[in-house]
Amino acid sequence: MSRPVPTQDPVETKKLPGNTMIEMIKVSRTYVPDITALSDISFAVDTGELFFLIGRSGAGKTTLLKLICNMDTPSKGLIEVAGHNINNLKGNKLAHLRQKIGVAYQDFKLLSDRTVAENIAIAMEVSYKKASAIRLRVRDLLDQLQLADKHDTLTGDLSRGEQQRVALARSVANSPRLILVDEPTGNLDATTTERVMELLNRSNKAGATIVIATHDASIYKDGNHRVMELRNGKIHSLSRNSR
Amino acid sequence: MNFWFAVFRQAGRNLRQTWTSQLMTFLTVSLSVLIFAFFYLIYTNMIGASDRLSDDLRLIVYLEDDPGPEMQEQLRRKINNFDKTEAILFISKAEAYERFAKQLGKDSDILTDMPKDFLPASIEVVPLKSLRGYNQIKLFSEYLATLPGSEKVQYGQEWVERFYYVTRLVTIVVLLSGTLLILTATFMVAYTIRLTIMGRHEELELLKLVGATNNYIRTPFLLEGTIQGFMGSIIGLCALYILFQWISRHFAGPGLLNIFNFSFFPPMVIVCIIFGSIGLCTIGSFTSIQKFLKI
Ligand SMILES: Nc1ncnc2c1ncn2[C@@H]1O[C@H](COP(=O)(O)OP(=O)(O)OP(=O)(O)O)[C@@H](O)[C@H]1O
Ligand SMILES: [Mg+2]
Repeated sequence: MSRPVPTQDPVETKKLPGNTMIEMIKVSRTYVPDITALSDISFAVDTGELFFLIGRSGAGKTTLLKLICNMDTPSKGLIEVAGHNINNLKGNKLAHLRQKIGVAYQDFKLLSDRTVAENIAIAMEVSYKKASAIRLRVRDLLDQLQLADKHDTLTGDLSRGEQQRVALARSVANSPRLILVDEPTGNLDATTTERVMELLNRSNKAGATIVIATHDASIYKDGNHRVMELRNGKIHSLSRNSR
Repeated sequence: MNFWFAVFRQAGRNLRQTWTSQLMTFLTVSLSVLIFAFFYLIYTNMIGASDRLSDDLRLIVYLEDDPGPEMQEQLRRKINNFDKTEAILFISKAEAYERFAKQLGKDSDILTDMPKDFLPASIEVVPLKSLRGYNQIKLFSEYLATLPGSEKVQYGQEWVERFYYVTRLVTIVVLLSGTLLILTATFMVAYTIRLTIMGRHEELELLKLVGATNNYIRTPFLLEGTIQGFMGSIIGLCALYILFQWISRHFAGPGLLNIFNFSFFPPMVIVCIIFGSIGLCTIGSFTSIQKFLKI
């Protein structure tokens, strides 16, 4: 895998102050031939913060989340997550950091030939959690998301709204320190949306830093958190909701 | 939940998902182990037989006449000039007659009318153990033929010659089937592992994203190669053993097999074949992992 060479001095991976979870400095991402998905993004997310990322379709929200979890690499700029320059991480160090980051992808990335329970368990299996602990946790999450009766259903047979919740359950299952959620409520009704937000709020209270990318104004308009709006790959506004 | 539990579960899933090609690979590995081991078994038995034959090997020089004591001494010196020997034995006409009579046993009365010197005198030369190569024996016999008074030298030339060529042939076959084994084992295993990796592409990608370590992802595939190698060699050797039993039963009794004293591999060789097969299959899966499982 060839990575773009970071513009920063690669030796510089010193810890950020303990209360910053994500820091981006002048990050750009361009796709060949000349699509600029993100340009010159600089911002920071504190540890324990619930952070919203909004913007129209194509604004670059998904791209930004992919950069944070190192699914994609920036064309320019520096990204630090939990004090690690994430683009210099390789091998087991990267794997261990990823175990601490839960991601609910916009396209879910569920294994359609495995059951709901197996899909959620994957996130915990890779960090060698006890089988009994995994079972308990999976049951608990499915209860919270009103999917208890889907425990043994293949995810390929679920509705999109159900798949979305399974993806969310997988992202929080391993109790990660950072949770990235892309469009968590796109296919859900109001009540289910509330359930999902309850689950995320609970994880947030337990100490997880959460970044949610969404179009859904209903989930970010209440509460005292920061909302960053992207427009055409640039930061349009970054403000704190004041109820 | 520990590492090895996860690895075995994953390997089990792999085996289940691509079991048809897994089965093909397994059969191919078994078959090539069987073919190789079969020829190797023949080879080791031939080597054993030729050792046994050459233990009995002696060159017999038939003489025109009984040599006197001086002549014996001279002959002995000449023979030892060419090469040291294990033993040199002079057999006079009378001794030859007595031996023959003894061999005939109760039929010896047919000899009563024969003159006591109708058998030629001879020298039995037992060559040194170190001088047991086919070409050396041949040279030695040619030398013995030039001794004064020597009429003819015998050591079962045809037998030795034929045996020598068959051994050479079997050596070549062993080498060829060994190469076959190496190629099939590594390539077939590499191929199935590649199939599995392709078939699980989506899952492998996801595993990386949720933070599975390289070992977590790779070890099951390596283990798969190891299992293929282990099972393949065990089954191949079992098939050979059954074949061996069948042959020994059907060709038992006096004959070729008795000279051969046909025997199965000693445990050490069995262990070596199993580990060789495991090693090759693991190498096969390793190459596929290196090529197709970029992390
Ligand atoms: N792999 C890619 N190759 C080329 N262009 C890409 C690629 N990924 C994203 N883009 C482009 O980058 C821009 C930002 O895409 P992104 O997926 O981040 O948008 P988004 O804000 O998540 O939109 P949505 O709300 O519809 O999910 C889009 O114009 C998209 O077409
Ligand atoms: Mg998106």
